[in-house]
Parts: sequence; C-alpha cells; structure tokens
Amino acid sequence: MEISELKTNQCVIIGITGRLDTTNYSILEKKLMDLIEAHNDKILVDCAKMDYVSSSGLRILLMALKKITMAKGKFVLCSLQENIREIFEISGFTNIFEIYATQDEALKVF
Amino acid sequence: MLRYIHFTDPNSAEMVRALERVPRCPGTCFFMDINRSTDMKYLGGLKDWGRKLNNTFNYLLFANHFQHNIVKGIGDEMMLYIPDEVLQKKASNNTCFALLEDIYSGLYLIRNHPDPDLFLNCKVAIHHCTEVYNITFFKGANDYYGSDIDLTARLMGKGIENRIVLSETFYKRVVEDLANLGLPPETGCLSRVSERHTEIFRGVPVTTDYRFIDVQ
Repeated sequence: MEISELKTNQCVIIGITGRLDTTNYSILEKKLMDLIEAHNDKILVDCAKMDYVSSSGLRILLMALKKITMAKGKFVLCSLQENIREIFEISGFTNIFEIYATQDEALKVF
Repeated sequence: MLRYIHFTDPNSAEMVRALERVPRCPGTCFFMDINRSTDMKYLGGLKDWGRKLNNTFNYLLFANHFQHNIVKGIGDEMMLYIPDEVLQKKASNNTCFALLEDIYSGLYLIRNHPDPDLFLNCKVAIHHCTEVYNITFFKGANDYYGSDIDLTARLMGKGIENRIVLSETFYKRVVEDLANLGLPPETGCLSRVSERHTEIFRGVPVTTDYRFIDVQ
C-alpha cells in the first residue's frame, strides 16, 4: 500500500493505493492520527486506487471518523471501487460516512 | 482435498482402507457465535432477528474475505476452516496474526458501530489444528473432522460476548508470525491478550492451554 498526501485550501487529500490490510493499516492509522492531532480536521480519503480492505482497515477509518466528528471537522471518502463499495455497504459504512463518486464531487462539500 | 466417504457395505474393508489413506489437513479452525440471537427471536420477532443475523454473518464473512472458508452454519454459529496451504496462497492477510487481527477488528466494529441496530455482538474460538481430516459423509457437503476440531468447539465454552478465545497453539503461531515480521509479541490486539489458562475439557484426554482477548 502507498499513501499520498496533498494539502489544498479546502482539506487534506489522502490517497490510498493498493491493499489496505493487517500488514500496513498501522501506517494509515499513524498518518490520520498525526493529521488530526495537528488540527487538520478536514480530510478527504480518495480510495480510487485502493483495491482491498478488510476489518483492520475499516476500523481505522471508523476511528478517524469518530475523532474528527468529535472535533467538529469533516471526514469524507470518495471514488470507491465496486468491490470496496460492497464491503462498505455490508459494514453499514455507506450510511455513516459521506461518500462521493469522484474527488471533484467530494471537494465541493468542504 | 475433500474425500467423500460413502460405502453401502457396513463391514467394507475398502472403507477402512479409504479412511486410513485420508491425509491430515492442517489449518486454522474458528467458530463464530452470535450472542443473544435466540432471545431476540422471541422478543424482537423473526424479522428483526433475521435481519441482524443476515447483517452479522455477511459482515463477518465478506469484510474479512472469509466467504470461501465457511464450512457450515448451525443456527447462530458458523464454523470456518482455512487450510494452511490455502492461507499461504492468499494475497493479503495470509498469516495467523492477520487472521486474528481481522477477527478482532471485526468484533470491534460490531461492538462500536455508530448504528447499534445493525449487528449482534459475537464470540469467537480459534485453534490451529494438525489432527484434522477433510472428509464428509454427505454428498455435496464439505466438512472437517478430527480431535483438534473438537477442541476448537470446546474452547467456545470459555467464550463470552465480545471475546476471542485462542488456543495456546494458535497464540504461539501468531507470536511466531510477529517475530518473522520483526514485530514485538504485544503488537495489535495481542497487547490485550490474557495470561495463559489451563483447562481439562470434556472429551479431551489432555490439558488444554488457552488465552483470550476481550474486545473493548
């Protein structure tokens, strides 16, 4: 998995490439928690190139959502591949996360 | 490889020979049990029970990519088995540590989900099996038999809601995986693992060591 970070005027865009699994979820966890602790409370996670996720990865996303919601910030996801969207749906995540089809659409909500 | 055992002659010598030729199939067995679903059937009605059972089974299987590892379901419990050779071929999460971490995360998400009306809490028992055989007596069905499967089922007796009970055998494999990854033995959910307990389970002629992890 690779993680990219892009700071814009509206938010921080985190891009995930590859497989988010138990060997690397802690890297994403550290990245998100560091951002939140540094008061970056507007985060967009672009999942366009993420092709695998399991419970360990979902747990980190949920923890980040909870922390940012407590800080009255905004945590948004976009560009989920079909297999990832199905896992999000089964996990009840499509109702608790703001998810947009494209990055352009997601950026409009910040 | 699955062997179908079916002989019409009850005294068939060939049946005995066939059973003797069945190879061991080492792997990880786990039972996942949904709590309080029986109460819910009577108190909340069939619709609510069925919905939450559907959601919880789906979540545990698909979010962890276990859907091809289900052996059978019995009411609100399911048995899964992942042979070592199958686990090693997985592109992701192909170690005992990964299995445990995903199961822990799965139970964590259910327990801490913002919508408390979707899922039911679970308990899990896990054991790494060596004395196990991939046979079935029923055409079209898959199954695993052996003393280690029995032991996994017995471990479930030590389970409570939101608890993972793991045999010492499985725990040692997880610690070994962590060592191979260059990680300390208290990585991830192992930071919450209990001390070792010892028990004599019914039908198991030797003592069994186990630990547990309570999901917070």
